[in-house]
Amino acid sequence: MKKSSVVDLLLLLLTIAVLATPAFSDLVLSKVERRIDVTSQFARVTKTLKVVNSGSESVSEFTLTFPKFLGDNLAYLSVAQSEGKGKSKRHLVILSVEAANPKGKPDSISFYSVALPKPLNKGDTLTLEVVAAFTNVLQPFPEKISQADIHLVMLQESAQYLSPYAVESQSFSIKLPSARIESYTNLENTKVQGSEIKYGPYKNLPQYSYSPIVVHFESKAAFAVAEKLVREIEVSHWGNVQVTEHYNIVHRGAQLKGEFSRLEFQARPNPRGISAFKHLLARLPPRAHSIYYRDDIGNISTSQMQSDSKKTELLIEPRFPLFGGWKTFFTIGYGLPLSDFLFASEGKRFLDISFGSPMLNLVTEKLIVQVVLPEGSKDISVITPFAVTQSQEIKYSHLDIAGRPVVVLEKNNVVPDHNQNIQVYYKFSNINLLSEPLMLISGFFVLFITCIIYTRADFSISKSSPAYLAKLQWDEVLATLQEVQSIIQKCLATHDKLEASLRDLSRTGDIQICKAARKSTDSLLKDLSKELKPLLAFLQSSPSASQIYLKVEELVAKEKELQEKLMAKHTTVVEGYEKKSSGRDIENRIASQQQKIITLKQEVEDLLEFIDEI
Amino acid sequence: MAAKPIASPIPVAMYPTLSVFTLAIGLVITAFFFIYEATSSRKNRSLVKELVTAAVASVFLGFGSLFLLLASGVYV
Repeated sequence: MKKSSVVDLLLLLLTIAVLATPAFSDLVLSKVERRIDVTSQFARVTKTLKVVNSGSESVSEFTLTFPKFLGDNLAYLSVAQSEGKGKSKRHLVILSVEAANPKGKPDSISFYSVALPKPLNKGDTLTLEVVAAFTNVLQPFPEKISQADIHLVMLQESAQYLSPYAVESQSFSIKLPSARIESYTNLENTKVQGSEIKYGPYKNLPQYSYSPIVVHFESKAAFAVAEKLVREIEVSHWGNVQVTEHYNIVHRGAQLKGEFSRLEFQARPNPRGISAFKHLLARLPPRAHSIYYRDDIGNISTSQMQSDSKKTELLIEPRFPLFGGWKTFFTIGYGLPLSDFLFASEGKRFLDISFGSPMLNLVTEKLIVQVVLPEGSKDISVITPFAVTQSQEIKYSHLDIAGRPVVVLEKNNVVPDHNQNIQVYYKFSNINLLSEPLMLISGFFVLFITCIIYTRADFSISKSSPAYLAKLQWDEVLATLQEVQSIIQKCLATHDKLEASLRDLSRTGDIQICKAARKSTDSLLKDLSKELKPLLAFLQSSPSASQIYLKVEELVAKEKELQEKLMAKHTTVVEGYEKKSSGRDIENRIASQQQKIITLKQEVEDLLEFIDEI
Repeated sequence: MAAKPIASPIPVAMYPTLSVFTLAIGLVITAFFFIYEATSSRKNRSLVKELVTAAVASVFLGFGSLFLLLASGVYV
């Protein structure tokens, strides 16, 4: 045993002997059951206290005490009032607890005061359920072991319940991980049953009774401690909650003495290295997806995943087994569906997500939870079931302008009992969702605008060089050519109309409509030929278009010929109808014209194609 | 008032399909835009036509690339 703790205990006993504060004496604990579970790396204490008010005044406050060496390592404490017994037992309310500092308090005892839901009157009884978790109370002993040694730890406690109240009956049991017990303090009424040690029951204990015990036993639990854990929870309203966890893990058990032999570690049938741990198990929420496990080097492939409808289990194996004092660093990340964690209530939205690490039996010395909310979130508030340090930051991520608000929650000494849900409330309007696509859209639009400007810009240096002038002229020729083309196309379209009117005539026999169509096409074609004139004049005058002009001239001439033939055909047909000639007669008359029209049409189209290719 | 779960405006499973279709439409319109830029001569090019094509193309490309990001796991 360490010398300092022996001194501690002596001091404690001394102060207890001196102490006699009557302020707490109104209450009596009629029955106390204490169970301490040390199967993992931390000590979890559950107590059932039956409180009776034997005084004359009603009491509204209850005081819990722990020896100082335990109180200093207290990670988690919750007190609930319960009713009934056995299976019908119900937990009624979680009571508020705070560290107290009564007058004349001895240094060797930590005090916590519990506010009772209603004052306890004279003669009334009340049952309290206390859950407390202590870290660093399992001291490795010996402190340094070699690879082949087993891992032994030591626990100090008191067999009698340390309390400012008198205790009528008290029992105490210690649950150990294995039946291998090196030594334990043997008092009266001590029983060992398998891996459990029972002290008591002890009757009629005075206030502040204390009898130190020490248990020395083997522990196979993984003493995995996260020196620092940063959990980043990023909410995206596009349907995802992304969790990224950065772990700095250290084995806080007995330190490895001497060197590590991989050969001995993997030897069969007697592997040496029982004090090391190889795996860590993370229990992630159901429907977790896109899970990754990596470190600075890259992906770590030694992980396994199993999932069902209630949970997702991730078994990860670090790159090397961890012995006492060894450290490792890694990152795990996973995505969660938004609708499982984000809710709307009274005009606000809130994220309801677990605070602690999903790793089983992991103690975190410094936990930083960063909740990254979407850009544009306002009125942020956080509800936690226990006290944490809060602050706010801004984070810049994909497609951000103003940055995303980040709620930073910090807590030291976190045990799995802290894996309770926290709620982050904020206000967010769905309009803000559109800011990201709008940014992308404007980005693309700017690209297009740049292209438009580029094609319109004139980048030539010398504005008077012959090559530049020739290019300008050529551009103009091309533009004129396109105009000529479009006019000819229009002419061809009017020709089609004329033909259509002829077909209508043969169907309905209405000459008037056909004549009207003829009139309108006449005027249209006239207009078009008028438009064509200046263009042709320009092409003729332009020196660079001399070759092309010939073709264009030919095209225009052919088109005119086609036009004339069509008109002639039209006149013949209409006249035939007016004279009421037979259909066959008319057809005979226009047969030769029709032949010519078809060849001309073909020629015009060929010419157009030729010009199009320039 | 009871808390109501909030889901994404578009089901997450739709993102890959949506991204393929919007990007395809966007790229076709972009192609049309560049063909128009390259073939029409400087004189008779219509600014309105260019701007309308550019706007429609950028809307499709913008949403398409957003859905592509979301489908590939970059939740913006």
